[in-house]
Amino acid sequence: MTPKTMIKTNGISKTVTTTQGQLQILKPISFEVKAGESIAIVGASGSGKSTLLSLLAGLDEVSEGEIYIDGQAMQNMDEEQRAQLRGAKVGFIFQSFMLVQSLTALENIMLPAEIAGRDDAKKRALDILELVGLDHRASHYPNQLSGGEQQRVAIARAFISDPKILFADEPTGNLDAANSDKIEKLLFELNQNSHTTLVLVTHDPVLAGKCQRQLHMQAGELKEVFTSSSNEQAALKVG
Amino acid sequence: MTNYTLSLAWRLFRHETKRGELTIILLAIILSVASVLSLSLFSERLKYALTEKSAEFIAADRVLGSNKPIDIAWIDKAQEMGLNTAHQTYARSMVFANENMDLVDLRAADTGYPLKGSVKVADEPFTQGIVIDRLPTSGEAWIESQLFQTLGIIVGDNIEVGDKIFRVSKVLTEVPDAGFSVFGGDPKVLISKIDLAATKVEGPGSRIDYSYFFTGENGDLEDYYDWLEPQLDNEIHDWDSIEDDESGIGRAVGRAGQYFLLASLLAIVLAAVSIAVAAQRYSMRHYDPVAIMKTLGAPKKMVQQIYLLQILFITALGITIGVIFGFIIQHLVVAAIAGKVDVSIDVWHWRPLIISIFTGSVCAVLFSLYPLMKLFSVSPLRVLRRDLGANLSSRLIQFVASGGAIFLLMWAYSQNIKVSAILFISGIILVVSLLGVTFGLIWVGRKLGQGKMGAWQLAWARIHRRAMDNSVQLISFAVTIMLLLIVLVMRNDMVQQWQNQLPQDTPNYFLVNISQAQQPNLQQHFVTNQVEIDKFYPVIRGRFVAVNDEKVRTAVSKEDPDEQSNGRDGLGREANLTWSNTLQKGSEVIAGKWLGDNNNSDTAAQRPYEVSIEEGIAQRMQLGLGDKLTFNIGSEIVELNVTSIRNVNWQSMQPNFFFVIEPRALKSFIPTYISSFNLPTERKSDITQLMQPFANVTLIDVDARINQLRNIVDQVSMAVEFILILVLAAGALVLIAQVQASMDERQQELAILRTLGAKGRLIRASVVFEFIIIGVVAGAMAAAANEFSLYMLQTQVFQMPASLHLEYWIIAPLAGALVVGILGALGCWRLLSLNTSQLLRQMV
Repeated sequence: MTPKTMIKTNGISKTVTTTQGQLQILKPISFEVKAGESIAIVGASGSGKSTLLSLLAGLDEVSEGEIYIDGQAMQNMDEEQRAQLRGAKVGFIFQSFMLVQSLTALENIMLPAEIAGRDDAKKRALDILELVGLDHRASHYPNQLSGGEQQRVAIARAFISDPKILFADEPTGNLDAANSDKIEKLLFELNQNSHTTLVLVTHDPVLAGKCQRQLHMQAGELKEVFTSSSNEQAALKVG
Repeated sequence: MTNYTLSLAWRLFRHETKRGELTIILLAIILSVASVLSLSLFSERLKYALTEKSAEFIAADRVLGSNKPIDIAWIDKAQEMGLNTAHQTYARSMVFANENMDLVDLRAADTGYPLKGSVKVADEPFTQGIVIDRLPTSGEAWIESQLFQTLGIIVGDNIEVGDKIFRVSKVLTEVPDAGFSVFGGDPKVLISKIDLAATKVEGPGSRIDYSYFFTGENGDLEDYYDWLEPQLDNEIHDWDSIEDDESGIGRAVGRAGQYFLLASLLAIVLAAVSIAVAAQRYSMRHYDPVAIMKTLGAPKKMVQQIYLLQILFITALGITIGVIFGFIIQHLVVAAIAGKVDVSIDVWHWRPLIISIFTGSVCAVLFSLYPLMKLFSVSPLRVLRRDLGANLSSRLIQFVASGGAIFLLMWAYSQNIKVSAILFISGIILVVSLLGVTFGLIWVGRKLGQGKMGAWQLAWARIHRRAMDNSVQLISFAVTIMLLLIVLVMRNDMVQQWQNQLPQDTPNYFLVNISQAQQPNLQQHFVTNQVEIDKFYPVIRGRFVAVNDEKVRTAVSKEDPDEQSNGRDGLGREANLTWSNTLQKGSEVIAGKWLGDNNNSDTAAQRPYEVSIEEGIAQRMQLGLGDKLTFNIGSEIVELNVTSIRNVNWQSMQPNFFFVIEPRALKSFIPTYISSFNLPTERKSDITQLMQPFANVTLIDVDARINQLRNIVDQVSMAVEFILILVLAAGALVLIAQVQASMDERQQELAILRTLGAKGRLIRASVVFEFIIIGVVAGAMAAAANEFSLYMLQTQVFQMPASLHLEYWIIAPLAGALVVGILGALGCWRLLSLNTSQLLRQMV
């Protein structure tokens, strides 16, 4: 059975208004991501990686084109509906961890489950905290944790609501090599175990290489798509 | 709302409180509630204490004056309603002794009198009186010192009042309701009410007034008045409280009351300013959590509920702590002034508590409105793009909400739309001008912030870059400084005016009936005894006969200026007339021209004699410029033409006259003279020796009354002083909070400068310069706005002459620079004492 399409974009672009007039920061892009697949969006700074991520995750609205997440057309949704979709199907990991500073590690992990109104939020959070090896840090605040620990909390938070898609923005960008390895390992492990679709933005070719496919962005355009296994350019539809 | 929302809000609140993240907004609420509570509680107590104290001057809380005996059922009703009552009858009557006679102010009191204050008596005339707790018994009369002199009697002698003979057993030195129209008052004779009928002074054509005194709880008094009012007849009855009193006391207490009100209003505005600043900062610090929650799928409604609940929790906590602090401060202040002002903390006042809670809640909610709306508008995209702020750009709602909140609070509290509007409009003018100045600063900043990066350049560059933030800060500094200036200057002007009214050498004795022949000897005798005597005023008694040839029967004398003389009719009495070419000190011509200024001397012989009349009597008797007044002096008729109307300061404690006539008109009459002098209370025993050679000269002793007046003015001044200190303290705390809040906003920049290796000295100097610049601008703007508000307040509310305060144009910017600069330096010192990594870590 062929896996179903989890993300489908159809000519999505983003235009912003500047003092000099309209500026297209993302040229029309179309691609598909299958359920359980892991893809890396790579490219230089300012190439449009984060913009693409923000559109895919429904954090921002497309100017043109269509995005389907698990079959739902996101371009027709308002902010509230997109939030609902995110809460139900999406998990996030950020370079700067983005933990709520005034909540403990445990409470940060509970947050998405609580927002979704799940009764077992605490139990699940404790389980997953143990899974990421931070059960002894449950009552610590983010600023009492190291960078690696904070990112592990963020990963735990991302997985608590069993997301169908996980978006990760430079997840190891703020970490040293040792911590980066641990985080990468944890991320891919959890991803595989829970059959989550992973969309990862990174500068790091090694990390990108661990994904099944890589989308290469350049000056707001999707230039090439590689499949990591053969490291050859795949004949996929680009543009 | 789900349980999760509530629990999340509660958890966030608990953690943030514990971690000190809510400190600034919590402090702002605590500060506002505590300052509004302590200030209004204290001023309520002071007002109560002063009203109690001043109630002594009318011998009761309320007095019903009447020129006919009232229905006894009214008194029964008052007693039934829990009020204490007393009664006194006043009559003008002649007393006789040793073939001498004098017109006296006869007072027949029943046993309850006085309900407030006390009667003082002495055993010898012109000596210090002591409090006595009884009234004259039947057949006994207590008379004032000067009457002993006029009648030529001593204590123990008899006097005849109407048909009854009384034994004079005491010298009456003080009654609480003596009034303050000192000069020319008839000497008082106090007898028991049961003897009044026997004197038969009450009869057709006699001049009798009745006073009914009431004391009790304010509410009961008001209920009683509500019951009584429909039955009162304006022509006959007069309901008075100390607030209605137009004497110096009533006015001083009234004005002090307004000052307290003003101070409390300003405390409310200060509170609002500090909450507004804190709420803005609170909102900005929560951009990230909101973006995170939205990213994680929280619906907007949930985010709104979480933060509204948070504000609710913060407000409740702030109010609770604020109320506790308010009470503590209030008790400390009362303890600090114990012995100086009699303030009791036994009486509980609900209003300040309600006002302070109301202020805290309204400020917290309405001032958080715009910052919260901004917070709610934060885009989830902020998780990726950290520079994204809030999406709300319209500030209109902020201005409407915060402006409306301040105005509503001021109005609700003062119930005086005029005071509220004056302060509010001054505030708006200040805010608008400050916005203008801010844009000026942006421009100046752009020019001066260029070039080599020294501390000055850094300071200007920062001012330029943070223009909008600085405008909020500048406005809050300037409003705070302006409010402090208003309270300070109002206090100075007011206390100064009170002191001017009663300078140290205010005459406390008046001499009446000095013959022309005695005048030089008397003057010499006083000089020899080292007593400075005032100017001698000639006096002639004249009977007022007609106005424009229409006959009148009118009472005109200073001792009864408030008399209910219906139009021009009244009881025929004589007036004291004086003549002078010069206008008396403290008097001012408000219509027409002063005597002799109308014509040149060539035509003087042909024109009618001129008279200048006092404003009040002109109104009461419906007299105007050009009216012809006819007086019967001796056996001659003198016709006078009204050429000027004067405003006279009756509180000046100097001889004052209703009618001043040009000297030409009275040159053929022989006057007596009056004068006044000041003798310190400790030299009171010298009086007998001083007056001994001039047996016919009547001495009027007003020392006790002056002391009463001075005492209350001192207490009111002291109270005003304490209120000032309280407001200054609250203002200082607000300034500290503001600097602290803005310091945190600068933390990021300091961390970067530090990281880049900038020297602590450079950073510190640049921050201090920045605060100095802001302080100078805020101070200068505050001085300008202060001038405008003061002008409006003094002329429209306090009925005082307006004054310019040029010194504050220098003091305010200097003080602003100094205080804000020092606070900035201190805040900066705290930040710079952290190492760079701590700084960076705190920025998260």
